[in-house]
Amino acid sequence: MMKKICRYLSPLLIAALVLGSLPVAAAPTSPGSGLVTTQDALNVERTQGDRERIHEILARDDVQEQLVAQGVDPAEVEARVAALSDAEAAQMADQLEQLPAGASVVGALFAVFVILLVTDILGLTNVFPFTR
Amino acid sequence: MMHCRDRQPHARNARAAGVPALVLLLLTLVGCASTPQLAESTERELPRRALLEDIPFHGQRDYQCGPASLAMVLNATGMPVDVDTLIPQVFLPGREGSVQPEMLGTVRRHGRIPFRIEGSMDALLTEIDAGHPVVVMQNLSLPAWPVWHYAVAIGFDLDEETLILHSGMEPERVESFKRFDATWARSDRWAFVALPPGEFPASTDAKTALDAIADFERVQGVKTALPAWEALVDRQPGAAMGHFALGNARYATGDTQGAMSAFEDAVKADSELAVAWLNLGLLQSELGEGEKAREALQRAASIPGPWQKQAREALDDLKMGGE
Repeated sequence: MMKKICRYLSPLLIAALVLGSLPVAAAPTSPGSGLVTTQDALNVERTQGDRERIHEILARDDVQEQLVAQGVDPAEVEARVAALSDAEAAQMADQLEQLPAGASVVGALFAVFVILLVTDILGLTNVFPFTR
Repeated sequence: MMHCRDRQPHARNARAAGVPALVLLLLTLVGCASTPQLAESTERELPRRALLEDIPFHGQRDYQCGPASLAMVLNATGMPVDVDTLIPQVFLPGREGSVQPEMLGTVRRHGRIPFRIEGSMDALLTEIDAGHPVVVMQNLSLPAWPVWHYAVAIGFDLDEETLILHSGMEPERVESFKRFDATWARSDRWAFVALPPGEFPASTDAKTALDAIADFERVQGVKTALPAWEALVDRQPGAAMGHFALGNARYATGDTQGAMSAFEDAVKADSELAVAWLNLGLLQSELGEGEKAREALQRAASIPGPWQKQAREALDDLKMGGE
């Protein structure tokens, strides 16, 4: 329970703290120029507000931890997370468990086997290569 | 021995009775899958059959249809990366598979832009006809016992109503439209193409392309993304944000005059794009063109929205500098 509260509360707290310094965080990355970057301009359009934006910034750390927990080589984790867009990182942070993982292996329950065999023959599924 | 033989006919009868019942049950559960209908315009414009013959095939090992599919589409764009390199970059050991966001991220790491395409057979076949192999996600099984799978669609035959895919261990697997679409629909028809900067999917709107390039630029840097922005404004001259992004990319690579004209094109395409007025003004002020800068910044400050504050501040700075 406590953990759950913390899970929701801590981003909000951090958000409140960071909100004041947001203009700094959102400052263009290229040194010496005051121009608004494309990514910032698109983010302002795309995200509903600062809170969501901060959630996306924090998501990357969250995803790094989750990837290590899923058995990814820690040396690879940073580069993997860096390759994600903000929206993808947020999606990974929020619902990695629910995201479908392409793997193409079926559990071997017999009842399931029979049902899938029939659906395969009906052309609804494609589990067994020999039903084609 | 004997009792085995005795029992068999019963078993067979039971099965004979059970199968139709099961079929009925399943049809109500799954809904009736039918062969997907193509739009008339698609039928008219596409050739009757197409096959991308030079897409290399990589057979998957274990659960690694993700890395294998990526290797095929990356190789097809001239990026010589092999499956063994890709496995540690995209495979999730804990899930024994690869997830969609990381499939797209890995494409970016290898210098190609992933574009999600619209989830329809029309869009899929149009991409293949344009020479782009398409990575598709399927659930080969039923929603209750999913078997998620990535494959690469490389050809079709409209008369036979079949799709040709590099899939799993099988190169050029032929699958009926009906069966393919039933398995594809279960991933909400998720699909993408991987293209070098400067190339675009056959059918894409400006917004999708913009987001795809901006995400790519964040990973690979401005220099790599520049040709993509140049190509985008050629293709979508009406997309003001495209000109804006091109201006930023040119500025970051040192082409100040080019940046200026791109920002001017941006406000020409959409005179209400405050952020483009803002950057135009900031750049003009940097180049010492105070009068022009003031005009542009005033435009930016007059448009209600998130850039008003920054535009006013820049105007104030300009006044202080000018006095």
